[in-house]
Amino acid sequence: MAERKLILEHAHDPAYRTLDGYLAKGGYEALKKALKMERQAIIDEVKTSGLRGRGGAGFPTWIKWNGIPKEKSDKLHYVLCNADEGEPGTFKDKQIMEQTPYLLIEGMTIAGLATQGDRGYIYIRGEFIDAARSLRNAIDQAYAKGYLGKNILGSGRDFDLFIHLGAGSYECGEESALMSSLMGERGMPRLKFPHAPLPTISGLWDSPTLINNVETYACAPFIIKNGGEWYSTLGASTKNSRGTKIFSVSGHVNNPGNFEIEFGTSLKELLEMAGGVKGGKLKACVPGGSSVPIINAEAVDRAIIGYEEMADVKSMVGSGGCMFLNEHTCIVTFIWRTALFYANESCGKCTPCREGTRWMLQILDRIRQGKGQQGDIELLEEVCSQIDGRSFCGLGDAAAWPVQGAIRVFREEFEYFIANGRSIVTSEPSLVMAP
Amino acid sequence: MSELVQLGAPHDRPRPPRADELNLRFSEQGIHELEALKTHYPDLKSCILPGLWIAQREYGGFLDGAAIAEVAHRLNRSYAEVEGVATFYTMYNTAHKPGKHKLELCTCLSCHLCGSYRLRDYIKSKLGISHGETTEDGLFTMEEVECLDACDRAPLMQVGDQYYGPLDEAKLDALIDQLRNTEGSTVVKMADEIVQVHLRDVERHK
Ligand code: FES
Repeated sequence: MAERKLILEHAHDPAYRTLDGYLAKGGYEALKKALKMERQAIIDEVKTSGLRGRGGAGFPTWIKWNGIPKEKSDKLHYVLCNADEGEPGTFKDKQIMEQTPYLLIEGMTIAGLATQGDRGYIYIRGEFIDAARSLRNAIDQAYAKGYLGKNILGSGRDFDLFIHLGAGSYECGEESALMSSLMGERGMPRLKFPHAPLPTISGLWDSPTLINNVETYACAPFIIKNGGEWYSTLGASTKNSRGTKIFSVSGHVNNPGNFEIEFGTSLKELLEMAGGVKGGKLKACVPGGSSVPIINAEAVDRAIIGYEEMADVKSMVGSGGCMFLNEHTCIVTFIWRTALFYANESCGKCTPCREGTRWMLQILDRIRQGKGQQGDIELLEEVCSQIDGRSFCGLGDAAAWPVQGAIRVFREEFEYFIANGRSIVTSEPSLVMAP
Repeated sequence: MSELVQLGAPHDRPRPPRADELNLRFSEQGIHELEALKTHYPDLKSCILPGLWIAQREYGGFLDGAAIAEVAHRLNRSYAEVEGVATFYTMYNTAHKPGKHKLELCTCLSCHLCGSYRLRDYIKSKLGISHGETTEDGLFTMEEVECLDACDRAPLMQVGDQYYGPLDEAKLDALIDQLRNTEGSTVVKMADEIVQVHLRDVERHK
């Protein structure tokens, strides 16, 4: 299959970033349609579409939308966008915000209509200043022309949209930590269901809050405009993944970038879109961002992109940050760097993650420096199993999976490094990667 | 152990000023912006992050004790609370006063694959600084950072509000020369840009 562009269709047209250019390409038709629909009808379209969260977890979007109380109390309803893209290897939300900002704004406005939202917040990671500038510009124009603010397009409905920037923390991409951060706290996760109410009941400032990823909101205009039925025909070859998904391809490829594909496309086709492997033969792939387990070249050959399908090769769609590694990559060093990332970014709230990520890093660090000991692999596995499923939020799991996956698929590289005090990979280009 | 891990690293924080030492320095613009931001949230606590961005600009890129105290004062929060928030996030400069320009080199996964550690060594040989260090003339601070999420441009570096990549030694040379000739501090500029994107055009300080 080739690329199938919905969100990115006009991404390279600078006019599309202006309100007039967006309108000229059929922008805001979905909002106009939604303004005439019943709230529940909007949610039902999203349900029919089969849309699942594009941030990484793949949770059915409509369930969140449907979970916002239908009867309004005295509390405001919030529509929150997780634009704290931080997963190493992922840069799709960045492109959406920079080049197709109105899709996000329109999507959030529609979500606001469906859930009686009063205020929206876009929480953008602090480093993404270009993305924030593009959105700022788009929001200002939308306000000026009555697409945001009081009495949207004369409908009597109000919706305000604010931008809020983070200040450097991967953990804030976790939804409860993001809310902590937006409310002016350290970006640490909060108790979750069933120990605390769902955010749809009590999220931001104890009020009903709908939180979705940038790409998820950007899908909404297409679903409302063309119908959920139509959207669900995309990706119909897969078990339960519908629509298109943007994959950010980077690493050892000739043409890195974002590629929007229909679910059901093979990973191999994605690699071809990105111009194939650079600098040698394909060795491995991390298909969905740093948190997902690494797979080898043989698995890349048979992997089909879909939430369930990727499990067949023991990996995940994740956030769509797809990194390809060529034959000169030392897997031990690569995983050491992954472990360093999680040790750096663990927020420190819970012991399994705070301590576990550091222990993993220490063990991998000594292996990498040629001081690995017999039993280190088993020790790593033990630490992983003590983190996985035991951390307060998903960061701990996400730190354990890549290590577990790498040991499963490339065990001999770890064994070799420990036994010989050096990497199995000795080619000239591998030195470029040496830390 | 890699020096990148900051957990537990000594964190030299200045002593908070006593109440009678409080010396408010926010400009008229900063005060105006903070007032506008207060209308964005239902409580003052939520203004801490944007308030710290204003402070980072107003205090020349470094959040010392006085800067934290001023944010706390203006938002009616305790010093400890604001200090706690500020030190959690890596983009607030609390650990050390940065140079005029901060070279934030990504050494995370894709950048690592594309040779960013070689560039780190190159910066060390060229400017004599590694992670967390500042050149003697106070012009450059070097920091290794985690994924900046523009991995298609690996190896990548952020300086102020701009991303630069894919980089090599020659492009780094040119960039450093260009920065030497840049008038203002890109650290301060970044904080200012971040404040501005929070505000609607009608809310900006004219
Ligand atoms: S790894 Fe450097 S930008 Fe993503």
